[in-house]
Amino acid sequence: MTAERAGAVLEVRDVHVSYGQIQAVRGVSLTVPSGSLVTLIGANGAGKSSTLAAICGLVRAKRGQVLVDGEDVTRWRSHRLVEAGVVQVPEGREILATLTIEENLQLGAWHQGRHLAEGLADVFGRFPVLADRRRLPAGTLSGGEQQMLAIGRALLARPRILLMDEPSMGLAPMLVDEVFGVIERIRAEGTTVLLVEQNAHRALQAADHGYVMETGEVILEGPASELLANERVVEAYLGEAFHEPDPAVSDGGGRFPDAAPPRC
Amino acid sequence: MQQLVNGIFLGSIYALFAMGYTLVFGVLDLLNLAHQAVFMLGAFIGWLLAVEFGWPLWAAVIGAVAAGAILGLLIERIAFAPLRGRPDAHFAGLISSIALAIVMVAVALGIFGPQTLRFPPGSFPSARVSFAGATVSVLQLVILAVAVTMMLGLNWLVASTRLGRAMRAVAENPRAARVLGINVERVTLITFMLSSALGSTAGILFALAFNSIRVEMGLAIELKGLAVIIVGGMGSLPGAMLGGLLLGLAEVFSVARIGSGWRDVVAFGLLFAILLLRPHGLLGRKRVREV
Repeated sequence: MTAERAGAVLEVRDVHVSYGQIQAVRGVSLTVPSGSLVTLIGANGAGKSSTLAAICGLVRAKRGQVLVDGEDVTRWRSHRLVEAGVVQVPEGREILATLTIEENLQLGAWHQGRHLAEGLADVFGRFPVLADRRRLPAGTLSGGEQQMLAIGRALLARPRILLMDEPSMGLAPMLVDEVFGVIERIRAEGTTVLLVEQNAHRALQAADHGYVMETGEVILEGPASELLANERVVEAYLGEAFHEPDPAVSDGGGRFPDAAPPRC
Repeated sequence: MQQLVNGIFLGSIYALFAMGYTLVFGVLDLLNLAHQAVFMLGAFIGWLLAVEFGWPLWAAVIGAVAAGAILGLLIERIAFAPLRGRPDAHFAGLISSIALAIVMVAVALGIFGPQTLRFPPGSFPSARVSFAGATVSVLQLVILAVAVTMMLGLNWLVASTRLGRAMRAVAENPRAARVLGINVERVTLITFMLSSALGSTAGILFALAFNSIRVEMGLAIELKGLAVIIVGGMGSLPGAMLGGLLLGLAEVFSVARIGSGWRDVVAFGLLFAILLLRPHGLLGRKRVREV
């Protein structure tokens, strides 16, 4: 779609985030070139989600800068960023369970009302299961379907860059494959993606470039293929990626694929 | 029959008032206790416009509605916005809205004085309509029509419009709403303005219905409004409508059948009975509080 080959869509410079006395992010810098898929990996609590929150304007960066297409957006509020195409698929999906599937998607197009019809057609084409159940409350969807809804909702905002926070979390292996398939397709269509994942192995396989975070800092970065071959990364993160993490531990439970209870 | 008509008539005003209450509570989880002062000021402003400024009655009502919206804006800015982000924002907002209500009542007392104001004779159309054994005045019919129109309009707005979707999104999950690019602060402000417009409409309609405007008129309805939204189900707009109508009917019938001294006993006793049978209110859902 809008893949100008040159230049970075997103540039994060020395961003710091703290919650009270706790420093969650300590000077993270990263670059996401246009049309690329960049992944940010690391253990739980490494500061990945806080970095995303700072990019999206959900928390204030204490120091540092966030640039989108070269423009300083550090102080922008979240709704303005979404309008500019900085769109997040949040951790835990954040589906609006009491609203219908269609209403969730309509809200995704909050700033893109003119393109709602074509956007809906596009998303329903991608995820036929959503089309079939469009008038049902989103809480009736299974975990995997909710993830598709969250992605579809983000696509309706016509993202310039899509920020995905742990999209495979708590999903069965087959659904993880499906989600990564969707991500790769979105990227193949020209949308720039920054993918935050604990499933480091899968994320690095899909990505062009990777950043590894630990205790609030980027400790390693490089082309994804090199990170996959890097002993330190393999030892620290990939060893555990081959057996599924327990979703109940990682996100508070309740998101098993076909038994997701409606969240109230 | 006459009692039924009167009950629906009174109940529709209660319902309108309670919907304003429950709108803010449902969307924002905040209880705005300055709502009763908006009700009172709506009545005074309508009276001011109609009697002092000589506006036609319909224009005075519209003026009172608009003034209500502005009051809602002020309430949000003064009593709630500065507290946003505090861990105790809910409780603090409760207290600061009580404080603001006291200020508003004091201002009204300063401007209009403690006496009961009335519309001069001949302000209202005197025609009456009889049907099915009941007699209603044209004024009553107009009040009922305004109240019902506003109730249905609000329901439609929340259920079927873009703004309504955003309000429901904020109600369910403010963080998700923010992620979707909704300006949560603006939705909050608009919600307060709508709520207060309903409150002040209820005030001016009440004033027209009983031709009596007093500074304390908000206090009497405050408790009733709270009871109605609890019985209807906290945050439920149809619940507030239903609860308001029930309260109106219960009051009118207990006055007619038992005696006016028993009005509140019967009305509130009935409300307690409903809560015993349905603890979450008539149309309320079980809410799981996330801490």
